[in-house]
Amino acid sequence: MKDDTDELIARHRENVHKAPPHLVQQWHDAIDDAAALERGRVAVRQRAWTPGSLFWGMAVTAALALGVAIGVFVSDDTTPNIVPTIAHNSAQHDVVPAAFSRGLQYHLRESRQQLSALDVDADRTMLVLQLIEQNRLFESAADKNNAPNLARVLRAFEPILLRLAATDIAPEDATALKAQLTFELNVMLTKLASEPSDEAHST
Amino acid sequence: MSIGGAPTQADFHEAISSRSDRWYSACLKITRNPEMAADAVQDALLNAWNKRHQFEKNSRLDTWIHSIAINAALNQIRRNRPGVFQPLESDVETSAEEPRQVLEDYELEDSLAGALARLSDVERVCFVLKHLEQWRVREICAELSLNEGRVKQAVFRAVKKLRISMQSLQDEKNER
Repeated sequence: MKDDTDELIARHRENVHKAPPHLVQQWHDAIDDAAALERGRVAVRQRAWTPGSLFWGMAVTAALALGVAIGVFVSDDTTPNIVPTIAHNSAQHDVVPAAFSRGLQYHLRESRQQLSALDVDADRTMLVLQLIEQNRLFESAADKNNAPNLARVLRAFEPILLRLAATDIAPEDATALKAQLTFELNVMLTKLASEPSDEAHST
Repeated sequence: MSIGGAPTQADFHEAISSRSDRWYSACLKITRNPEMAADAVQDALLNAWNKRHQFEKNSRLDTWIHSIAINAALNQIRRNRPGVFQPLESDVETSAEEPRQVLEDYELEDSLAGALARLSDVERVCFVLKHLEQWRVREICAELSLNEGRVKQAVFRAVKKLRISMQSLQDEKNER
């Protein structure tokens, strides 16, 4: 009886399911992304107080202010609820390749984590700009993967991120924007997790 | 390994290349769901990366990630099937014939996986943790918030059911 059990356990222990290659690649990429993000943070922290940063800080602020001003000027709706309108009302679902969906979910989870750790300090602007850059990459990838609705929702994050990146934002406004973004990221993650993806194109 | 003992990016890549099948397989045995298993491994990797400075230099990186992945898999089950480990008022033995709501998520690649899939969640998780991951009973009790009697009973039932499954598979094989 004991031998039977030992054999049973040994057989289960030796029975290894190979991870699909696209998952293994995704894990390699996740480590590379985490390392790159960390290097970015260190670089931003190191250059935060150099004399040149004042010039670049002013330039970025001016560009952001201009961007926000244009956004406010061209928009009829000045309420901050841009994303919910699009994310919640997007009745049409895009079926995207599973690998892309999982990559996007990872990006959204990372963004949510970074937003929760975001502080009102010198590197906030740079970190949010990095988030915008990553968001644009996924937006463009969504377009390429025939997911126009998803691309539109991702695009709608940008104005809010830009407002959050502004250096002269009041702390209570920054908190409200962070809360709004976190809520919207949760909605996106829930939708992505519940919607079907195209496993046939997951590699 | 880098100076100071914290694993480097290259160490992580090496561990993924050589051991990720084992992590994924262990998580799959716990969750019975490929997506949850994949997420558990990814969560474990990112957790390990973020906490790599806490890594003890005398340990093995792949073993460390493996243990984090097991915990991540348990968290995945808790998140996706809330209440799964809550003690029942009356500890009723589950029958192998009862409907399995998550069975359709799982590709039964082989008979061993099939036999594991026929166990209840508690039986399967207790069996995997005790016999395949070699956790102590008290560690399983603490992790799953179950009393010792329930864990031992779950492991006992699991072994009993698995033995029956294996026997019928063997009989089928002999008949052919």
